Amino acid sequence: MTKRKMFFRMITASLLRRRSRMLIALLSIGIGATILAGLVTVYYDVPRQMARQFRSYGANMILLPEDGALQQADVDQALEQIPADQLIGATPYRYVRLDMVTRQQSFVTAGTDFAEVQKTSPYFSVTGAYPEKQREVLVGKNVADTIGAKPNSIVELTYRPGRTQAASTEHKPGDSIQGSAEGYNHAPVYVTAKLGSDMTIESISVDASLQTEEIGSKCGEEPFTSQFIGKTLPLALGEDVDALTGATMTSQGVVDALNTAVTVDDGAQASYTLNFTVTGILETGGEEEDYFYMSMDDLETITGERDVLDVVELSVSGSSDELAAESEAITADTPGVSARLVKRVTKSETSVLSKLQALVFLVTVVVLVLTMVSVSTTMMAVVTERRREIGLRKALGASDGSIRVEFLGEGLFLGGLGGILGAVLGFVFAQVVSVNVFGSDIRFNFWLLPLTVLVSMAVAALSCLLPVKRAVAIDPALVLKGE
Amino acid sequence: MLFRMIRGALVRQWSKMLLIALTIALGASLATSMINVMLDVGDKVNEELKAYGANIVVKPNDSSLLTDIYDVEDEKDDALATAWLREDEIGNLKAIFWAFNIRDFAPFVTVNASLSTGGEAQVVGTWFNHHLSLPTGEELDAGVRGLRTWWDVTEGAWTDEQAEGGGAQVMIGRALAEAQGLHAGDTLTVTGHEGAFTATVAGVFDSGDDADEQLWAPLDAVQALAGLDGKVASIEVSAITTPDNELARRAAQNPKALSRSDYDTWYCTAYVSAVCYQITEAISGSVASAVRQVAESEGAILDKTQLLMILITALSLVGAALGISNLVTASVMERSHEIGLLKAIGAHDKAITATVMAEILITAIFGMIAGYFLGMGFAQFIGRQVFGASIEMKPMVIPLVAGLISLVTIAGSLPAIRMILRLDPAEVLHGSRA
Repeated sequence: MTKRKMFFRMITASLLRRRSRMLIALLSIGIGATILAGLVTVYYDVPRQMARQFRSYGANMILLPEDGALQQADVDQALEQIPADQLIGATPYRYVRLDMVTRQQSFVTAGTDFAEVQKTSPYFSVTGAYPEKQREVLVGKNVADTIGAKPNSIVELTYRPGRTQAASTEHKPGDSIQGSAEGYNHAPVYVTAKLGSDMTIESISVDASLQTEEIGSKCGEEPFTSQFIGKTLPLALGEDVDALTGATMTSQGVVDALNTAVTVDDGAQASYTLNFTVTGILETGGEEEDYFYMSMDDLETITGERDVLDVVELSVSGSSDELAAESEAITADTPGVSARLVKRVTKSETSVLSKLQALVFLVTVVVLVLTMVSVSTTMMAVVTERRREIGLRKALGASDGSIRVEFLGEGLFLGGLGGILGAVLGFVFAQVVSVNVFGSDIRFNFWLLPLTVLVSMAVAALSCLLPVKRAVAIDPALVLKGE
Repeated sequence: MLFRMIRGALVRQWSKMLLIALTIALGASLATSMINVMLDVGDKVNEELKAYGANIVVKPNDSSLLTDIYDVEDEKDDALATAWLREDEIGNLKAIFWAFNIRDFAPFVTVNASLSTGGEAQVVGTWFNHHLSLPTGEELDAGVRGLRTWWDVTEGAWTDEQAEGGGAQVMIGRALAEAQGLHAGDTLTVTGHEGAFTATVAGVFDSGDDADEQLWAPLDAVQALAGLDGKVASIEVSAITTPDNELARRAAQNPKALSRSDYDTWYCTAYVSAVCYQITEAISGSVASAVRQVAESEGAILDKTQLLMILITALSLVGAALGISNLVTASVMERSHEIGLLKAIGAHDKAITATVMAEILITAIFGMIAGYFLGMGFAQFIGRQVFGASIEMKPMVIPLVAGLISLVTIAGSLPAIRMILRLDPAEVLHGSRA
């Protein structure tokens, strides 16, 4: 029999013979390892999970236009700077003032994306529901009190164009133009059109309601209006477009109105009225209670402008340093977009989060230290009990070294087994904590498994060695005699 | 005789007993510190969350929407509001049922004024660190220093109202300071519709919000600008509140619709709606409403933190319990020789059990006492390191820990003693089942 075989035989025999004692030692190491793996996993994942919780304070970064308004394309480019797993939500806002003509009042109305609102502003408290379909609005509590709106009531909102800015018959691609001219019997026709990027007419709306009913007024409808699409100004009646039969004067009026139309500023179009159904009342305790909220599509329909935003609110889960770096990168790399951190949220979050992290850290350290001491006292008790055996072995001629190596082997074996057991149980514990507290899976750190096993082996081996060292130092005769 | 045997065992086997006492002390200290920290963590985190600023805003109840919605700047009236709260009633905040939970508050008046540097700006009148002497004899400082913790004072320092000349100091937002070329230490005159004052710039701040374009001055001075003596437009209040539950939500709709007992429960719990209700009662013509962004988030984070601590505490308690019972079992089994000998010379099982249990329990009591004080130390260490405040030691923890440790010790030793008693004394003494 080789020396090594004998060594393993002695260890396994000692473990098997002393089942109950070894079970105690194993259990004790297992508990220690469970606490180690569980708490360290929780400790590493708590900041990430807690940071997500802190996102309930709302947006911590906002994108603002450098001048004028934000373009959707620029915003999309800016959002690419933020890692997808950090971006919790990005809510676009476009603010315009809409009138309630019947009440002679005007209210700020925000166009937004309600799915994103619920991510970036989870504290919004809505009585009723968020709008889901078109032509639905969410009404701020103060506004609702003023106009007496309740869920399911109907509000009529009107968009009035702003003042004409730099009225000019010189047009640029993408301009909105507006003009009027005399039609039949000196009654005016009004034309609003939008030019495409190649200066052709992209869309047109004609208000011919003051013309003869069912004759001239048909100039405001299809198919007359559709023949203007794709044409370039100036136009000539009979060449570029055909007059409507029986309404030549009105047709000429429309063409004149277009040829003399002036560029109006963005958002300046003929007034536009839509009916909206109230789906819910918004309560926040802040200025949001003074606004109407509708989907971006509806706001674009009513204003006739697309892909233009005033501000984008972002909710990003990241450390304050990461946020600062990301906002700087966006401001530097994206033309027309400047990113700003919401100090109130980011600064407070950093201070509270660091406290929480310190709390979990200290608790983990205290629990770990106490657990490790407790594990080693148990191991020491189990080994001390075997002083007779050590004495006997010494009396039979075993060297101090070989006894130490054997106990060390036992300790390492128990530590390894307990460590693996504990690591698995610890991960289970961490998962239970994560699911119960944060409602999401925990992120496991693979390196914790070997670390747990190594620490368990070290603690077990060290706590074996101390009593063994004391036992071998004593005269075997005394030990065997039981003193 | 029993007493003598026990004392003998304790004295003779002092090193083994010391090991048991040590383990029990560690377990007890773990339980003590974790339970105390767990019970106090809610209050402590709540204090930390005050960094987010006010969670209640008090406004006049007939305040017009004009200012907020239209941004109306009436030529004749510089003040941007139409209804007022009374400044002399602000002290009433500290007289409500939940006065102790009100951490800080500050009144606000905002007017438009022109600056001697040539521009115009919104001037916010408020308290920075205003000293209040209440009729109850209480003395306290209140103001925005505790409500705007996220401000970075980039130049100079916070206005100190209590210092000499503090009443003539203003703070200026970063953007406004840049636009007007103002720096800390500069002097400027602010002219409003009804008056003017000259002040020194105490500091320039970076707030990251609209305040960057405003001038913040002491309340009295701004009231004088617009002839609004004794009037304030709004009050921000930072209060420690309990997370809302179903009752609080029902009460928020209409407190009068609650049953008598529900109403009492609600009124006497620090729900944000209850605190708002009491503030509305205390300040005439006011409406107090919760700032949802702060109030709701606080609730969510508090709940999560407490649940996290409960689970960590549970794990460490289980760990401590198993650790103790393990060691006790090991130490009892180690004494199989002694127990076998006692049995061989005719001792009853009952007597042996009583003796061994008494020894271990006496050891446990010493361990527990040491452990409790050690645990207090750990709890205070955590409190000092993390929150900079001491953890409140709840007396109820003592019986809890004592009960838990005793139970664990008995659970660890009884089965082991039974097992050894079942063995044949001759076999045990011979050592074949050692």
